[in-house]
Amino acid sequence: MMSTYNMVKQEFIKKWITTLHMLDCSVEHPLNVTERKNAIKLSSDIAMAAARSGSTVWSRALISRSGNKTANKPVARRILKKARNRLKNRCLTLRRNGNFTAKSGVRKRTELLKSLVPGGELIKNKDYLIRETLDYIVYLRAQVDVMRTVAAVDSVTGNLTNDNK
Amino acid sequence: MLEGLVSQESLSLNSMDMSVLERLKWVQQQQQQVVSQSSNNSPELLHQILQFHGSNNDELLQGSFSQFQMIRSGFGPNYNMGYGPQHEAMDGCISRTSSCQMEPVDTMEGLLKNGTEEDRPISLKNKRKQEVKTREEEKTEKKIKVEADTESSMKGKSNMRNREASSETSKETLKGVSEIPKLDYIHVRARRGQATDRHSLAERARREKISKKMKYLQDIVPGCNKVTGKAGMLDEIINYVQCLQRQVEFLSMKLAVLNPELELAVEDVSVKQAYFTNVVGSSKHSIMVDVPLFPLDQQGSLDLSAINPNQTTSIEAPSASWESQSQSLYNTSSLGFQY
Repeated sequence: MMSTYNMVKQEFIKKWITTLHMLDCSVEHPLNVTERKNAIKLSSDIAMAAARSGSTVWSRALISRSGNKTANKPVARRILKKARNRLKNRCLTLRRNGNFTAKSGVRKRTELLKSLVPGGELIKNKDYLIRETLDYIVYLRAQVDVMRTVAAVDSVTGNLTNDNK
Repeated sequence: MLEGLVSQESLSLNSMDMSVLERLKWVQQQQQQVVSQSSNNSPELLHQILQFHGSNNDELLQGSFSQFQMIRSGFGPNYNMGYGPQHEAMDGCISRTSSCQMEPVDTMEGLLKNGTEEDRPISLKNKRKQEVKTREEEKTEKKIKVEADTESSMKGKSNMRNREASSETSKETLKGVSEIPKLDYIHVRARRGQATDRHSLAERARREKISKKMKYLQDIVPGCNKVTGKAGMLDEIINYVQCLQRQVEFLSMKLAVLNPELELAVEDVSVKQAYFTNVVGSSKHSIMVDVPLFPLDQQGSLDLSAINPNQTTSIEAPSASWESQSQSLYNTSSLGFQY
């Protein structure tokens, strides 16, 4: 139970460090804060999807979305060899921005959920959408937990080094 | 039989969460009623119940991902043939056991009413088909289906009324049954008076699937228990996903601030991994890392109970139904908070 979640987190952090390192090598320094933030987020998204690396729509969609964002597509492809997907183009073109023609509250919210979950728009079956959402939430949660831990550790070590100076 | 049930329950108490505990107690009460009301009560039924409990305990202890597969695999057989309790989601146990009440014929309506009273506190969480199959059914091929709740009303009360309404009609058909038939499984098909054609049955099965999934989502997303209705739950889920995504943004910005060189303090990886493995059940760290990993809520039945309750210090306030423990995180986040 617990070990599964821990495994998820360990998997994620391993991949994240690899991804971040690769991204770091391929981009030129110095970076400002925004660029760093984007790099961190991108690498963590890729890592999260790679940690899943299963048959979920959201992981593939996330990878394709991230792959298009990076200036260096080889970075994404190197890490995720399986991530070549046919969803790539469709995923990007289908993003909606809140213009719903939904009739009922449930349908409207389902549309909104589809826009949140990567690759959700492509899922016709509501049953499957919920399953994907479940999975996505687990990994998103793992991502958040890991990042929080790392941030806390970093802040502490940062304080220590500042004190030493 | 009941002692066996109690011992099994106590064995699994530690690993089970409150909702399942409630359910077990409820089932226990049901069984007591069944026992008291029918002298003919079959030991086989209770035995089946124990078996179901056993299987369900195992299921509860499995990983979450295996549960996803279970969901996938378990639906088809259930509704068509009703085999394989091992495949059914843990709620299936309750559906089977509560359906025992249908057996004694003398006060069927009374039984259902008892069932409803017990059901109401749990009705929000339990969405299942109750399936009872009787010999009468086999003869006449009439199908009586009692649903614990329909997808149209997750509130539960109107469901109970539906059940009672249908019970009156089904009472007539069960008059002929004087003894509890020996069955492997108990199934009830379509409710009398409802359409029994393939389409509506399939539609109903599909809706049941969706509602089961919603239930699992309830377990994961904090605060969903108090919300009823699909729209409300979807709202919560959307809120949660949005909040998590915002947290990711915020944390990545914070990390960017803390790490001028885009390195994650790689040498600390092993330390962090040690955190993850050691943190089971413990809520404190040597460093002021706030990663308590206790059950999400007392009713989380998935093993993702390890996920800590959502505490957010992001810019927008989380919804009121979420617990928040943001003390140490506030301390650590003051660095990157304004950006």
